[in-house]
Amino acid sequence: MADLFDPDRLSRCISCGFCLPACPTYAMTGDEASSPRGRITLMRALDAGRLELDDPTLAEQASLCLGCRACEPVCPAGVEYGQLLEEWRGAQWQGRRRPLIVRALVLLVTLRPAHRLAGILRRAGRRKADDADQLMLGCVERTMFPRVSRAALTLAPGLAADPDQGCCGALHAHNGEPERGAAMARRLGDDLPGTIVTTSGGCAAHLASVIGRERVREFSEYVQDQRFQPVLIDGRPARVTLQDSCHLRNGLGVWREPRRLLQSVADYVELPSAATCCGAAGTYSLVRPRESRTLAKAKVAEIEAAGVDMVVAVNPGCLRQLRQALRRHRSRVRAVHLTEFLALSTKGPHSS
Amino acid sequence: MFSDRSLSTNVLRKLRSVVGNENVRTDPGVLEAYARDATPLFHAYPQAIVEPDDAQQIAEIVRIAVEHRLPIIPRGSGSNLCAATSAQQGGIVLTTARMRRIDEIAPAELLARVQPGVTTAALAKAAGEHGLFYPPDPGSHTVSTIGGNIATCAGGLRGLKYGVTRNYVLGLTAVLGTGEIVATGGRLWKDVAGYDLTRLLTGSEGTLGIITEATVALLPAPATTGTGLAYFADLEAAGRAVAEIIARGVVPATLEFLDRRCMDAVDAYAHLGLHATAGAMLLFGDDGEDDQVAASLARMRQACLDSGALSVEIGGVSEAESLLAARRCTLPALSRLGSLTILEDASVPRPHLAEMVARIDDIARRHDVVIATFGHAGDGNLHPTCVLPSAEDTEAIARAERAFGEIFRTAIALGGTITGEHGVGAAKLPYLAERLGPAQTALLRRIKSAFDPAGILNPGKLGS
Repeated sequence: MADLFDPDRLSRCISCGFCLPACPTYAMTGDEASSPRGRITLMRALDAGRLELDDPTLAEQASLCLGCRACEPVCPAGVEYGQLLEEWRGAQWQGRRRPLIVRALVLLVTLRPAHRLAGILRRAGRRKADDADQLMLGCVERTMFPRVSRAALTLAPGLAADPDQGCCGALHAHNGEPERGAAMARRLGDDLPGTIVTTSGGCAAHLASVIGRERVREFSEYVQDQRFQPVLIDGRPARVTLQDSCHLRNGLGVWREPRRLLQSVADYVELPSAATCCGAAGTYSLVRPRESRTLAKAKVAEIEAAGVDMVVAVNPGCLRQLRQALRRHRSRVRAVHLTEFLALSTKGPHSS
Repeated sequence: MFSDRSLSTNVLRKLRSVVGNENVRTDPGVLEAYARDATPLFHAYPQAIVEPDDAQQIAEIVRIAVEHRLPIIPRGSGSNLCAATSAQQGGIVLTTARMRRIDEIAPAELLARVQPGVTTAALAKAAGEHGLFYPPDPGSHTVSTIGGNIATCAGGLRGLKYGVTRNYVLGLTAVLGTGEIVATGGRLWKDVAGYDLTRLLTGSEGTLGIITEATVALLPAPATTGTGLAYFADLEAAGRAVAEIIARGVVPATLEFLDRRCMDAVDAYAHLGLHATAGAMLLFGDDGEDDQVAASLARMRQACLDSGALSVEIGGVSEAESLLAARRCTLPALSRLGSLTILEDASVPRPHLAEMVARIDDIARRHDVVIATFGHAGDGNLHPTCVLPSAEDTEAIARAERAFGEIFRTAIALGGTITGEHGVGAAKLPYLAERLGPAQTALLRRIKSAFDPAGILNPGKLGS
């Protein structure tokens, strides 16, 4: 199977294994085949024709991988694992080999997103200058969590929010359609000129990889110099923790910014595994529900042990996963998006 | 010698009855993943991957392997650099992935008892929680397992002051090639009852026994750590500074050097802001009480300046950690320069360090290969690394192999060795007889057959 992979990218790994301790699926299984190094070995076997696309190990590992890219920051050789995974799934997840749930989801987000934000978007659209920075609404987020963008516009009223914007294609790129995902990002880049501000870490990383890092600002980066009032609960500072967005942290290197913001307004506690995937991982919670729940369960235990009022997410997928997991485990901790949390501060003293 | 066919259903059934169905795997994709370790150019398929739980299961697996003449290749994380876990003759790769328990940290006795699959860093962390310290710290310590460390007698960045893995192994439980389980040594600092089998198993690379438990010595954690960084015109000058430091009676915890190519590769990953033009750097460090560390660093600083250092900087604990972390990444970072990196591990007596460095340069030039050199200068342990643009360029690989052959012979001629800490494995077996001579080589074979009469434990490696 020649030409599946960029040859320079695939040859960069020297199999030192420094990625093994960073990989959540290797931690679960202890199996070389489910480590980043092992998966690159599998990709090479596919590339060289030693394994065929219908090989069961290839199928299993292509879906067991979270795609969290925790292996990238720890790789001294600079292997672009996330890109390799996209190329691999581009070949692996074609036709009947593509998980059914992935087919359904991609179809869903390709349809025009529902406009639950209509009112506020009209108001936001009216006031903006032509060169205003653009808020990306996100196809999942605007449907499931419309409050996130509303809060973002409250916190950064200068942002424009074009209601006709499309999808950035991250979901496509991560699920077997890298070319289409890139084309969608380019189109969004053309539709929204100038700086694009996003409240989704996953979208931010994908968009930046296609249209350039300089044009993309994740929300915590965008407002990092703003001052916010403390967030109070029952008259005391709210006690919060953060779950990193994997692609935001591992892909874009953004992790200090949301922490600094939270530290400036609340009693911040670091989660021991904040940098480790919560199991949401895009479509993962649907494709691999069992492993996803295993990761979420460990996360909830840590959140409970931290004794916090809220856990803050910077990506809609993580927000959904955390809310579901907290509910499933009957936790009283609330999961909120960073914009929603910061919006509590502008309202002044807050009581839950 | 051994069959490369799929294992018979009879053998598989027996293996499965020992460890359970899910812990015997033969899928082609899984065998592919285990067809190599961290050593380039060694690719060989095992016939099955087996993941046992304890020593009893391992003993039963060994008996099955003896009966059916199947090689067993014990494997931890597969981070070794000598093809020690390459299944050269097929057989069973036996992983210790399910044996990751730290059974005991005993502060009163200054020791720990662990299963072989525990990573070096996990043991160090657990010891640290008791104010204790496990000194051996191979570059891959976050990845490598204690079982693998003991099997290869791993070294690390603290060798000069603290020694290597063998200095910390008090006792081992191992399954021999006969299926017998032996417990050597134990919890005692003094114990001369019998041959020192603990030391013999340490560094035996899975050819004499399969380690199933280790009792290792710990030390009280040092109060503080400090490092300094000296830049030199070239690696030879850094090598002379090392000799000067030792000559002044300092035995520091760390003395690492890197040439310009290594500095560039490391800085591209770690962004430390290293000197832009110096030809080499020497990282020196010590640990202990505050005033003692300060005095040690000051003496090393002066020795560097007196040896012609371009500049010297002294840093604190946080800087020490980031410098050491970056140093550990040198080998993988070098792959930024070319997709095939062949690393070697020659060691020479310290007085010959500077000379060896110059000879490596000369050898690289004559064989027309790019060699970047770094290493544990304080131990005389060098890692000349040949960087090649592609694993397909067989002509360049042949040149690199000729260059390494000459490097090994030069090291031996200077009173050194072919491997300081990575091990012999399949990679350096062809050079072993040159280092040991015929009598010792024959003795190794006789020892091997005493421990493993059927010759099933990691064949094609030491003692073969």
